[in-house]
Amino acid sequence: MLSTRGLSVGYDHALVSDIDLDVFPGDIIGIIGASGIGKTTILRTLAGLIPPFQGNLEHSLVKNGELGYIPQRLGLVRHASVEHNVALGARATARKPPEGTSSVRQWKATVTHEAIKAMGLTEKTREPVRRLSGGQQRRTATARTLAQRPRIILADEFLSELDAENVEMVFGAIHRLVKEDGSALVVVEHNVERAFRYCTRVLRVRDGRLHPVQGGESE
Amino acid sequence: MNRGTLNIGLLTFGLLLLTVVVLNDLAVGQWSRFEGGWDNLRRLVTESLWPPDWTVLKARNYPVCEAAFGFMCSKAYLGMLETLKMAFVGTVIGFLGAIVLAPLAASNLAPSWVGGPARLLLAGMRSLPSIIWAILFVAIVGLGPLAGVLAMAFYTVGYLGKLQFESFEGLANGPIEAARAMGMNRTETFLFVVIPESANGLISQLLFMFEYNVRHGSVLGLVGAGGIGYYLSYYLGFLLYDAVMALILVIFVVVVAIEAVSRRLRSFLSESDDVPKASWISVLMSPDRAAAADATSTDAEV
Repeated sequence: MLSTRGLSVGYDHALVSDIDLDVFPGDIIGIIGASGIGKTTILRTLAGLIPPFQGNLEHSLVKNGELGYIPQRLGLVRHASVEHNVALGARATARKPPEGTSSVRQWKATVTHEAIKAMGLTEKTREPVRRLSGGQQRRTATARTLAQRPRIILADEFLSELDAENVEMVFGAIHRLVKEDGSALVVVEHNVERAFRYCTRVLRVRDGRLHPVQGGESE
Repeated sequence: MNRGTLNIGLLTFGLLLLTVVVLNDLAVGQWSRFEGGWDNLRRLVTESLWPPDWTVLKARNYPVCEAAFGFMCSKAYLGMLETLKMAFVGTVIGFLGAIVLAPLAASNLAPSWVGGPARLLLAGMRSLPSIIWAILFVAIVGLGPLAGVLAMAFYTVGYLGKLQFESFEGLANGPIEAARAMGMNRTETFLFVVIPESANGLISQLLFMFEYNVRHGSVLGLVGAGGIGYYLSYYLGFLLYDAVMALILVIFVVVVAIEAVSRRLRSFLSESDDVPKASWISVLMSPDRAAAADATSTDAEV
């Protein structure tokens, strides 16, 4: 659903080169590596936010609205409510309402509230995001993605700042989404142990290249 | 004395020297005019300005006053009310124009081939002060408040547009990028991400602009564009300085009152929740002293 051939990413010079990556339905791909090495740049390029430095990037099956992106700092509208933020996902989604739905607006509201409920934020629905704790904000960003139900989710360190219980809740929800919808997740992760625990494939950025890593291989 | 202090000292000295040289150039041969200046000032105040002629607060002789209070037919009241109305309408129309142009001018929201011309347009509208716009519009639509409203609206688009696009550009990139990656188009991103994120700033700027337009609206009448300035220029024309003084005091009181309200309202829009709200008295002080006074009054409450 997403493939790259000889892709180089970077701004004024290539940070990571020769990326040949194929993302298939059901994939959970972890990208690890030292900080400042270009992990986020890879993700931003895949998200279409910066043009490829060189090479090809194809979103073959991904239509407009089928790509979800959770930046490292979450990209929430801090002055707006949880509901407003999650509704952005419902607004952006490429999915169609089920047969017989009379009001698309009503359907999007339902999708929004289901996502808020799944993240345990029902009581914070009308709260401005800036008043929430770090963990609650992360759950809001996750709820936004749940409401969007994209075919491919690009997430930058989306499990950091969460305690164990919330990691289960957030990752569990995204994992279910990936399994049920046959979508894919590409996640940048600084916690190597966690990457091996959750991901089906782990790739490491080192010396300007993206290397596949076998499970259990140590640092 | 260390090097840094020496440099600052030299720089200050150089700047002061330059000021004296330029001033001397401007005022060449006119220094003698200060002779008797004090006497002139004393005579202006005691014989012309003071006491103010408060008949400007009484009903005009013509047309016949039908309001409950004579004050409501006075030149000061009618003129000030017209200025306030002009400022209100001019600010709202200007805001609508600015909110359309500002996203086109913001480098993070529009491509550069749109942003350049949009910024140039805003700069053009801002480069002429509203009184110059008023001269143009008086020529186009004739004497009266309509010219004043158009002048204020034009200047407001330029000025408010700049404030707005700068606050859009100052927004964190994350929300805009997330929206864009999710597939939202520019209009959706602007309406549902940029506007809510900058709403406090936009309202605050709008209030500031109204305040600004009331202040500047007072002089638009000098060129025939309506408002209290019309009466100012009328009395100036007859050298009736005591009536001018009364009008100036009226303008001063109204502007200070509006600033007080606006400041109060804007303090509720403060970004962080723990910034103390402004107190009424602080309006009359310089910003530093006001901040200090606010701090002490908050301490006292605690």
